[in-house]
Amino acid sequence: MGLEAPYVTGYLSEHFADPAYATLEGYRAKGGYQAAKQALALPPEQVIETVKASGLQGRGGAGFLTGLKWSFMPKGGEKPKYLVCNADESEPGSFKDRILLERGPHLLLEGILIAAHATGAERTFIYVRGEYAEPALRVERAIEEAKAKGFLGEKVMGTKLRHDVVLMRGAGAYICGEETGLLESLEGKKGQPRKKPPFPAEYGAFGMPTTVNNVETFCHVPHILKNGPAWFKGFGTDKSPGTTLFGVSGHVTRPGLYELPLGTRLDSIIFDHAQGVAGGRKVKGVIPGGMSMPILPADQLDVPMANEFLRERKTMLGTGGIMVMDETTCMVRVGCVISYFFRDESCGQCTQCREGTGWLNKVLNRLERGAGNYDDLDVLLDVAAKMEGQTICAFSDAAAWPVQGLLRHFRDDFEAHVRHGRCPFPESFAL
Amino acid sequence: MPHITVDDQSYEVPDGRTILQALDELGLLMSGVDVPHYCWHPKLSVDGSCRLCQVEVEGLPKLQIACNTPVKEGMVVRTTSERVRKAREGVMELLLVNHPLDCPICDQAGECKLQDYAFEYGTPHARSREPRRALKKKVDLGPTIVFDQERCILCRRCVRFCREVPGTGELVVQGRGDRSVIETAPDQPLANDYSMNVADICPVGALTTKDFRFKIRVWFLEDVPGVCTGCANGCNVHLGVASNKVYRYVPRRNDAVNDTWMCDAGRLSYKEIGAPDRLREAQLRDAAGRLVTASLDAALDEAAARIRRAVSAGGPGAVAALASPHATNEDLFTLRRFLEALGSGAAAGFAVETGRADALLLKAEKAANAAGARALGFGPAAPVLERIRSGGARTLIALGHDVLGPAHGTSQGLAPGASEELLRGLDTLILLDSHHSALERVAHVVLPARVAAEKHGTLTNHAGRVQRVEPAVEPAHVALAEGEALTRIGQRLSLPGFAPGPWDAREVSKFIGEVVPAFRGIDLDSVGAEGKPLGPGASA
Repeated sequence: MGLEAPYVTGYLSEHFADPAYATLEGYRAKGGYQAAKQALALPPEQVIETVKASGLQGRGGAGFLTGLKWSFMPKGGEKPKYLVCNADESEPGSFKDRILLERGPHLLLEGILIAAHATGAERTFIYVRGEYAEPALRVERAIEEAKAKGFLGEKVMGTKLRHDVVLMRGAGAYICGEETGLLESLEGKKGQPRKKPPFPAEYGAFGMPTTVNNVETFCHVPHILKNGPAWFKGFGTDKSPGTTLFGVSGHVTRPGLYELPLGTRLDSIIFDHAQGVAGGRKVKGVIPGGMSMPILPADQLDVPMANEFLRERKTMLGTGGIMVMDETTCMVRVGCVISYFFRDESCGQCTQCREGTGWLNKVLNRLERGAGNYDDLDVLLDVAAKMEGQTICAFSDAAAWPVQGLLRHFRDDFEAHVRHGRCPFPESFAL
Repeated sequence: MPHITVDDQSYEVPDGRTILQALDELGLLMSGVDVPHYCWHPKLSVDGSCRLCQVEVEGLPKLQIACNTPVKEGMVVRTTSERVRKAREGVMELLLVNHPLDCPICDQAGECKLQDYAFEYGTPHARSREPRRALKKKVDLGPTIVFDQERCILCRRCVRFCREVPGTGELVVQGRGDRSVIETAPDQPLANDYSMNVADICPVGALTTKDFRFKIRVWFLEDVPGVCTGCANGCNVHLGVASNKVYRYVPRRNDAVNDTWMCDAGRLSYKEIGAPDRLREAQLRDAAGRLVTASLDAALDEAAARIRRAVSAGGPGAVAALASPHATNEDLFTLRRFLEALGSGAAAGFAVETGRADALLLKAEKAANAAGARALGFGPAAPVLERIRSGGARTLIALGHDVLGPAHGTSQGLAPGASEELLRGLDTLILLDSHHSALERVAHVVLPARVAAEKHGTLTNHAGRVQRVEPAVEPAHVALAEGEALTRIGQRLSLPGFAPGPWDAREVSKFIGEVVPAFRGIDLDSVGAEGKPLGPGASA
């Protein structure tokens, strides 16, 4: 299988076209593991300070500051400490971690080693989405290579660091990408998020202090250690430094993965990089950050892709999965698809989420059938509001936001369904 | 000890508690400070999923679930704000989206938390136009419990109960999202000694006991506090009473005795109160050797006459007695005084049936007041039986029939055949008992006795906790408390201390406190609803 590089390359993906980069030898030939070697010689606090100074935000969707998260891990103590690499990439519209796992598995391992040194963790669990067979295989291979060559195990690279990496594969539940749902699943239990407190840094995998980071987050770390925080901040915006891998999908001419600095304008990604909508049609709406993020209408695409700007438009960067929909798209159908997904994937613990996801989905389906009324639109907004900010994890919010976004910008579509008693978008994608 | 403020009222609460725990320990939860909740239960782990107990905590932007939020010094909690009200309303509306509107045919109606909280915190109208989830209405979970999947609100108390209390873990949540259902594994029915507690903790009508369901509407029941008499643990219960009939026991919370639980055997032991084998009339043995019905007075007269004859022929030592571990402390103390008045105090003991015990609630001694009998000076039955065997005692007053060693257990008495044979040789056997037994075959005078649910008195549990019972029902037939029967006999014999007048358990209980050191300060009134431990000087 020939490898195609992402369309635009940055520091993360610059060697991804080279199949050898996924091997230990090929990775080292590009300077791989140099950053880890340097970092392991530094005091752990200094490594954390460096990452803090870089302003690196977690790339799993919530955008929490990575250095700060690492600093929550207890110092010393009797209990073993763990890292978890969240490779359960399941957000519809996202496919960046998959490429990182397949093409840069040693970049990931190097990031993990640096984090292990910084946090005092003795083991990392990489939890890979069940459907990601090939990425899992490549990471397994990289782990074996690294073990054989002394990059993992006792005395990593001749230092005092001892570190094991264990790969686990999920079984296909979206909720296992939520960090504590992941921990439950990792422990062999049903994937259901844990109530907090306690937080993972105190009581994580198997009850031990644990830090959970996304694949991409780990992958930025060697680059930051190698080049310094100032270099890292040279990419992106003041508040959102670095690049990220934007996955562009939907009605675009050139769908794919684009590594670009945070803060790159959404319209630039869609029109300059992904070459706009195919067939000369117009954009109708764009989901900017994976399916759980509220949609933006065509007249709001001039937004820089960084949370501080996206928040002003009542949406978020999420996982950077950009889904473009053209003018034929029925936004009620979009709501049906999204709400079905969240109804199906809700773990069912919290009342609001379990009952709310089903209710939203049923109302949207009825509206799409043409059996809705104007009151239903208020019900949707009200149910969504009740689902927001009141549950164990953010899933319920993630299920509510897209519906709110659709009604905020495309209320006309909904009202047209009520008015006509049927779906007025014959050319839209089929359900 | 952190200080917290709840709705502008300050409290000092113990360390390491959550808001709900602190309110519970202060006795304020739902009685002073209303924080409605479904998944939280004081005796189970925190689940945090129903989201109904959300409250406002000053300084935190989001509402917090009171069940999982630890109290901190200076914490300011608000349970009545508009935000909290709206959050509760939201949870109630969402819980009702899929809940069937079958209250008129639901057994939980009247004691349903969904009904109560919907009324209190919900909105009067349903906005959902969607069809409700259709699921199985009658799932047989095991020998004791029936499950209605549609009514379940997935609070998972039952799941946690089975895992955490009996440790059997039969119940699981199968599926996810709005397809979640509580299930048992194939061929693993819900069958443990405590299974029926799941019906108590189920806030809705999803889990009901096969025993109680459809028997009566709960609003016809009066809850009378009492004590289970199935074993020596003395689990606190409410007796559900209507039309002078006990319909059920449900556990009554007592953290010093049974938390909020009781075993299935104990729960079903309410049936013994109105059992068909209750002794319903006084009986006397006629000249032909047959037991015939007699008036209560005739039987009491005959008992007195026989005791008088025995004492005048063989002295007080000719009379022996077997106490009952089912009788109250007041009954047993009256027996003790009766024997002392006769002058044959030493010739008394008691037997108690034993059976299976566990580390949770079940105790080996299958009687409610064996510890009380011991504390009041009654020893084992064996010396009494020995005295009968040796011919020293020719007259026996027997309270209860435990000496026979009933069918389901061993006994401290004799083997059933042996003791019946032995007792057959007596000149006189006066039996005071609540239920029919083989002992009637050898009795000369039979006096029907009341059970604990039919009288005032106290019972001492295995740990020496003295607990109160009160009449929940009147026996539908002739029956006297053992203490009353003995008093009336004593009055007929003009025994010292048995002046004319009614027997009053309350007076007797005060008297016990004056005479028996271990009972000092303990009487029917002072033990309160949760009982009081025996003081120093109690015999084990």
